[in-house]
Amino acid sequence: MSRPHLSDACAAVLRRDLLLAWRRRSDIAMPVLYALIVTMLFPFALGPEEGLLQRIASGVILVTMLLAMLLALDAMFASDIEDGSLEQLMLAPQPLALMLGMKIIAHWLTTALPLIVITPLLAAMLHLPAAVIPVLLLALLLVTPLISLFGAVLIALTAGTHRSGMLLALMLLPLCVPALIFAAGAVAAAQQGLPWLAPISWLAAILVLAVVLAPLACAAALRIALDS
Amino acid sequence: MANWIPLWLHRLSSPPTFYRFAGTLRPWAMGLAIALGIIGLYGGLVLAPADYQQGDAYRIIFIHVPSAWMSMFIYAVMGVSAFIALVWRIKLAEVVAMESAPIGAAFTFITLVTGSLWGKPMWGTWWTWDARLTSELVLLFLYLGVLGLYHAFEDRRQGARAAGFLAIIGIINVPIVHFSVNWWNTLHQGSTVDVFGHSKMAWDMLWPLLTVTLATKFYYAASLFRRAQTDLLDLEGGKDWVRKIAESEATR
Repeated sequence: MSRPHLSDACAAVLRRDLLLAWRRRSDIAMPVLYALIVTMLFPFALGPEEGLLQRIASGVILVTMLLAMLLALDAMFASDIEDGSLEQLMLAPQPLALMLGMKIIAHWLTTALPLIVITPLLAAMLHLPAAVIPVLLLALLLVTPLISLFGAVLIALTAGTHRSGMLLALMLLPLCVPALIFAAGAVAAAQQGLPWLAPISWLAAILVLAVVLAPLACAAALRIALDS
Repeated sequence: MANWIPLWLHRLSSPPTFYRFAGTLRPWAMGLAIALGIIGLYGGLVLAPADYQQGDAYRIIFIHVPSAWMSMFIYAVMGVSAFIALVWRIKLAEVVAMESAPIGAAFTFITLVTGSLWGKPMWGTWWTWDARLTSELVLLFLYLGVLGLYHAFEDRRQGARAAGFLAIIGIINVPIVHFSVNWWNTLHQGSTVDVFGHSKMAWDMLWPLLTVTLATKFYYAASLFRRAQTDLLDLEGGKDWVRKIAESEATR
């Protein structure tokens, strides 16, 4: 029996995960609704003054995205662990890191992409100047994959435990601090009319490193956590 | 030739040998820690002259700086032993890594508290979002994350391996804490003590600082020995050497 080609296996994992997400479409809508509601709370809590909202808009949006993705991360491997398909993936001849990379891409497509799509709406709710929105979107395009990648490693580490929600927050949020600083720095610079390319380049550099290393770390973590 | 060193290290990694080794060394380490701590604090709080600019308020340095060094040193020890535990699966390395974490978290906490006590009279604020302060706070969260992950597992060895992996990921933060004052020029002052070069500090102030630093190192050793001993007894419960210890305790 000939072994299926590596790209076929990757495509199969990706297609399966996307199909599963599509069958449970309401789950995709949850982080989006969460982000909308959290963003809506800020004008209520701080008052609808336009200057204040403009100043905090980018930070609020970034943190809201981070929290929305954190809530969605739990589901990344949960159903696969329950029905045993993750263990099959670990036994498969294809490299586990690559397969997990596909799962991370699928997760990013189903949770982060809808969030990025509604970002202009959130930005408009907080009166962020339209000229800054492209920079915010660019920063989010670089930050959200980072959160998915870091989160995948940590969620793999907690795979063998039963309580992981708050624990995941405790582990993930400190690791996301540098990415958040650079993203907020870029948007703040753009808002003041300063060059914003340097922090974006830093983010891109971290992302390149993470794309290479995180799936490997994720595979190693999964082998540790499910090894019993 | 020097064959006995690796041989001795291999022997030491066996739980009963380490248990005896730690039991013998612990009183000495604790005694040295207390003695050096008293000498260093007396030198720092009484003998050392007041600073020309900061007056007596600078004296908190004798607690703050040694704790800060320990917070990073213990993280490095934890990272290295977690690496050893993951690669060679040595049970003792897991124990050392996981029992270091609470001690390191305590030192990090002391660093943050004394730092903010020092910052109030000098900078006029308890807390500021300075690079070094923030990265030290992140270090505390990393310690807490490692501890939380370790205790989330039902199987302790598996928990130790998972938490050790997290510790290795987080080790990136240690150089960031250390070099943050050089990379970003913010409120926290640069380093005044240079172990291999000329320190920017009077000898009268430097020797108490180094003495307290040694004291914290010995305290860490003593505390780690005791924690590792109890942890080993717990992990190896039911084995022969533990039963012998329990019997000798019972007949005493």
